[in-house]
Amino acid sequence: MSEIIEQIKSIVVAGKHKEIEKIVKAGLDANIDPGAIINDGLIAAMDIVGKKFGSGEIYVPEMLVAAATMKKGLEIIKPLLTGDASQPKGTILMGTVKGDLHDIGKNLVIMMLEGAGFKVVDLGVDLSVDKVVEKVREIKPDLLGLSALLTTTMPEMQKVIVMIREQGLRDSVKIMVGGAPVDSRFAEKIGADGYGKDAADAVQLAKKLIGIN
Amino acid sequence: MKSTPYNLVMSALYKGKKGERPPAANPTSIVCQELMDLTGISFPHAHTNANAMAELALAGHEIIGFDSVMPEYSVHQEAAALGCELDWGSRDRMPDSRNFPYEDFSDIKVPDDLLEKPSMRVVLDALSILRRHVGGKAAVIGKVMGPWTLAYHMAGTQNFLLQVGLGENEMITRMLRQLMPVTMAFARAQFAAGADIVVLADHATGNLVGAYHYQELLLPIHKEMTAQIEGPLILHVCGNCMDRLELFADAGFDGYHFEWQVDSRTAVEKVGHRLALVGNINNSQVLFQGTPEDVRKQVRYAVEAGVDMIAPECAVPLSTPLENLKAIVDAVREGY
Repeated sequence: MSEIIEQIKSIVVAGKHKEIEKIVKAGLDANIDPGAIINDGLIAAMDIVGKKFGSGEIYVPEMLVAAATMKKGLEIIKPLLTGDASQPKGTILMGTVKGDLHDIGKNLVIMMLEGAGFKVVDLGVDLSVDKVVEKVREIKPDLLGLSALLTTTMPEMQKVIVMIREQGLRDSVKIMVGGAPVDSRFAEKIGADGYGKDAADAVQLAKKLIGIN
Repeated sequence: MKSTPYNLVMSALYKGKKGERPPAANPTSIVCQELMDLTGISFPHAHTNANAMAELALAGHEIIGFDSVMPEYSVHQEAAALGCELDWGSRDRMPDSRNFPYEDFSDIKVPDDLLEKPSMRVVLDALSILRRHVGGKAAVIGKVMGPWTLAYHMAGTQNFLLQVGLGENEMITRMLRQLMPVTMAFARAQFAAGADIVVLADHATGNLVGAYHYQELLLPIHKEMTAQIEGPLILHVCGNCMDRLELFADAGFDGYHFEWQVDSRTAVEKVGHRLALVGNINNSQVLFQGTPEDVRKQVRYAVEAGVDMIAPECAVPLSTPLENLKAIVDAVREGY
């Protein structure tokens, strides 16, 4: 039984997207708990992928393929989940700020967050302050993630946080920021709750901010 | 050797005689909002009009004091000529393309009149204007995108990198080889138009792809291009490229323009004897958010490490304070 889970894990890590469907189905046929396939197989695999990325062993191409492989596996299992296992661990709103069209970093973070069991709403790129605030009000997420790749667009993050505070929403949502030019000093300066240096780090941060292990 | 701006840059490029001080060069854009306001020439006009483009470049030499002039501020000139729909941005925003015309990796159609497309012609004309104004006084630098960067624009960065991850090497190589003539034609035309040096920007960026990707997919193409483009080339690749510096030297470039993430001492030690090093003043923390004194410290560190030309690590953020750019010039004028 655990052998199949190990295989699922190594298939995701290696990004063997053509093999994932078969092995996940084999796991289900062997009556392995779908929750275990997700947690000990798919999510555990993405943890490894995130660490390998953080240490420079693999890069974005491999990470994209691993994430696509995980997603394929997840799609097979999701309909079978019931009870607690089918409940997301929290809702996260993600977007790239105004003036910035870069989305690979944000997309990688989203894939990892989804893999970790969060419900993620992707607001896309080039987001105006008003749009972000409107969505925070409407969706009431536990956490808001803001991304910027350009140094030129970093100040937009601060504008969003200021507006959220002005609208009296700051206490109801945690805010994390990330992107190449951003660092923890900047995050602190603009009043964010945290900074994630890469996709794996963002998942750890999200768990911490939402308060789950 | 006379320590004129032109001589200092060219001698540093070939690692020749040292003049009175290291040169301050700009392989990538040093245009900031304050410079646009001072000159009355603003983006997006300066991306599409040759006179405006050249005049703004000249201001980098005459107002800020850099030893080179470089008139190409966007990374999308070739993309526009190859069919990308461009949003040329504004005073406060760099251009970006709105679509990826070859998402399906179909054969790239390079137009017969590539060099006459407005977005290409404007750069060539601006280089000629600069040549007439400061030829022999300041180094005239041109800039082209390499096939890897062009492939991002053609297929979309995430899509392209996903195919790299899926191991679709044949498809990747075909696209790169179809784009290679664009880079070569534009580089040659820029030399003919008056460029002393051409920067070849190819974003096999440190944090995006690995040295092994570069070595397998791009190095052979870079070798062919450096062998076939006669004039001096400076390679620009962002990110932490510590693991591939030797490969860049193997590729046959005359210089490498690098970021702060690559420590200058280590860079000089690894490849300083094989190519000229140009860089590496940090944009985000120092030029954008720091003080002139922070800038000075980094410049002096790079000079002492043996970096041949001092430059911002990449195109500077548009809201960079002008005094921080001037601080680069002041710090190189302290000499060696």
